[in-house]
Amino acid sequence: MRSTLALASLRRSASRTLLAVLGVAIAAAMLLDMVMLSTGLRESFRELLVSRGFQLRLSPRGTLPFDTEATITGAGRIIALLRTNPAVATVSPVLGGTVHVPRADSTVASFALGIVPSVQGDYELAQGRDATAANTLVANADFLRATGAHVGDTVRVAAGYNPQLRSFVEERRLVIAGRARFVYLSSGEPAVAMPLHTLQEMTGNAQDDRVSLLMVRTREGVDPDSVGAWIDRQLPRVQAISTRQALDEVDQRLSYFRQLSYILGGVSLVVGFLLVTTLVTVSVNERVGEIAVMRAIGVSRAHVVQQILLEGSAISIVGAVLGLALGLVTARYLNTILSDFPGLPSRIDFFLFQPRAAWIALGLLVVSGIAAGVYPSWRAASLPVARTLREEAVA
Amino acid sequence: MSILLPILLALHLPPQARVPQPAASPASPSVHSTSAYATSAHAPSSATSPAAPAPRTIAIDDRLAADAGLHVGDQVVVSSTPDGPGDTVRIGAIMKRNADPSEIARNEYEVRLHLDQLQSLIGYGDRVDRFAVATRDSAATRQALAAINQAAFGFHAYRSTDIAVETSETFKVVSRFHRAIGVITIVASAVFLLCILLLKVDERRRDVAALRLIGISRASVMRSVVLEAAAVAVLGSLLGVGLGFITSGIVNAYYGALYRTPLRFSIITPGIVLFAVVLSLVLGIGAGILAARRLVRTPPLALLGR
Repeated sequence: MRSTLALASLRRSASRTLLAVLGVAIAAAMLLDMVMLSTGLRESFRELLVSRGFQLRLSPRGTLPFDTEATITGAGRIIALLRTNPAVATVSPVLGGTVHVPRADSTVASFALGIVPSVQGDYELAQGRDATAANTLVANADFLRATGAHVGDTVRVAAGYNPQLRSFVEERRLVIAGRARFVYLSSGEPAVAMPLHTLQEMTGNAQDDRVSLLMVRTREGVDPDSVGAWIDRQLPRVQAISTRQALDEVDQRLSYFRQLSYILGGVSLVVGFLLVTTLVTVSVNERVGEIAVMRAIGVSRAHVVQQILLEGSAISIVGAVLGLALGLVTARYLNTILSDFPGLPSRIDFFLFQPRAAWIALGLLVVSGIAAGVYPSWRAASLPVARTLREEAVA
Repeated sequence: MSILLPILLALHLPPQARVPQPAASPASPSVHSTSAYATSAHAPSSATSPAAPAPRTIAIDDRLAADAGLHVGDQVVVSSTPDGPGDTVRIGAIMKRNADPSEIARNEYEVRLHLDQLQSLIGYGDRVDRFAVATRDSAATRQALAAINQAAFGFHAYRSTDIAVETSETFKVVSRFHRAIGVITIVASAVFLLCILLLKVDERRRDVAALRLIGISRASVMRSVVLEAAAVAVLGSLLGVGLGFITSGIVNAYYGALYRTPLRFSIITPGIVLFAVVLSLVLGIGAGILAARRLVRTPPLALLGR
């Protein structure tokens, strides 16, 4: 009965009900996008960090991994020390650098990683073999495209250029053993990985046994933070960064997006609330006579209140459901825009859909829809029946 | 990855003046200046060392000065590693941070040293990362670019504007994102406005019916409704502009304090104000026409409910 009356009331002004639903849908879409934005980036980054199973990253003290070109000396000694800790399962050293591939008329510059293939956590092999031999490398599709090389080809790779001698330095002939997908690199960035010692020799880092980063996998059941604290005590020139600390750093650096999502999400919610409140209030004002008649023939106050609350909730729920679908489309579009951020790993999403985000958005909208009906329903319930009937009859 | 030289300069300060640990950034000396700059990268680890006979001067940024409690005239030791030997220097100046958007997210301190001192500290020899060349005019810039790129094999000269375009890619992305959000907001506002105007017009069904019955033409009723919608739109947009200035001030104050930068995050230009007012007017009049058409097409008696 209540829902029939509520629906009849909404159908009476179909065009404005439709507009209100559309307005709520847009507000709901924006709200869902902002809920996704507020949590998506952090969750996406967390998934990226833990995807290869390393919980700790050791970088030169005062720096973040690959944030600068600072390096850690004596990597072998550090690895030996880390292995003395029974909580440490795997240590993966990584050296970063730039290499050049001379071609007939140009040079292709590429990001290069020196790794230990058996424990590396930077790429997934997509084709061919891993770079286990000293004169081999694995390359990503962007590198192969830029150089025109294929798996199995031998390429000239140089570590740098000497402008005085006008020649490449530390040039090697390396065989492309396989094609790989690099986990932490942005799309479109040519990249290769080769055995650590090969890159160290090419870039002059072999003597001091330098690496850019050490990734540490701890044993199951061990608290990575306690291992990190132990490393910080043992090695004053490096710092151990746990996944949590890395996430905190990302939060700090990209706090703008989180704050923007809170502000725009809040505004969307308020706009949706105002729209439903206005519509239901005007609707109640238009039919005070009807409400007074219903009250006069014995319909209870609670009945009237429930009917009006139902009207607000119906607009909010239909608008929210439409808005959630619309929100997924707009989130995809907005994510495409932000994925063009220079240097952003291709696996990072700013708008990551999680069922929790959808439930939060839906829940907030339903609550706001119910709240939007509170004032008009109170107004309807407190109408003086006799006076309203007299005034309406005169009108 | 930075394409420039990484330099870690440990700034050894008195133990009580401990500072957070920011990431390091590259040094970038240039030939038109006698100074180089680098960013401090490490927490202090030792007390001030005995002063040299005539310590050279450095300049530090105001955030580092505030966080570490440093003042002009203080002596500190700078070194390339936390525990390495360093040079005792005197703080000669405290500088304001540049309004550089590319540095916003990097919570770094900046220290400027004389070029030769920095080269010596980091064992860099007589090398620099880049040269900055001042030219007289745009024609001279073109000539210099051509001359350098032809003569200096292995180097490449760039216009400052080209580098600015390259490094501002991040902000272009943010700008595109803001535009997309703006479009969604405009669509939502249009729907909201149309809805409100429909409600307002619906409320006056009886008034309009009475006007029509006493002989007022449809066109007059339509004009009055559209005029009212335009007035509401102008008034709303003026209020919105005022609100925009207030929120812009809040945004600038908040993010300026958060990132400790003189950079302005939100700028309201006359063009933006004009765009907002015109858009609001167009939406308002459009919504008014739609609402009024619906009203004047309904017979007066039907408007009265008969």
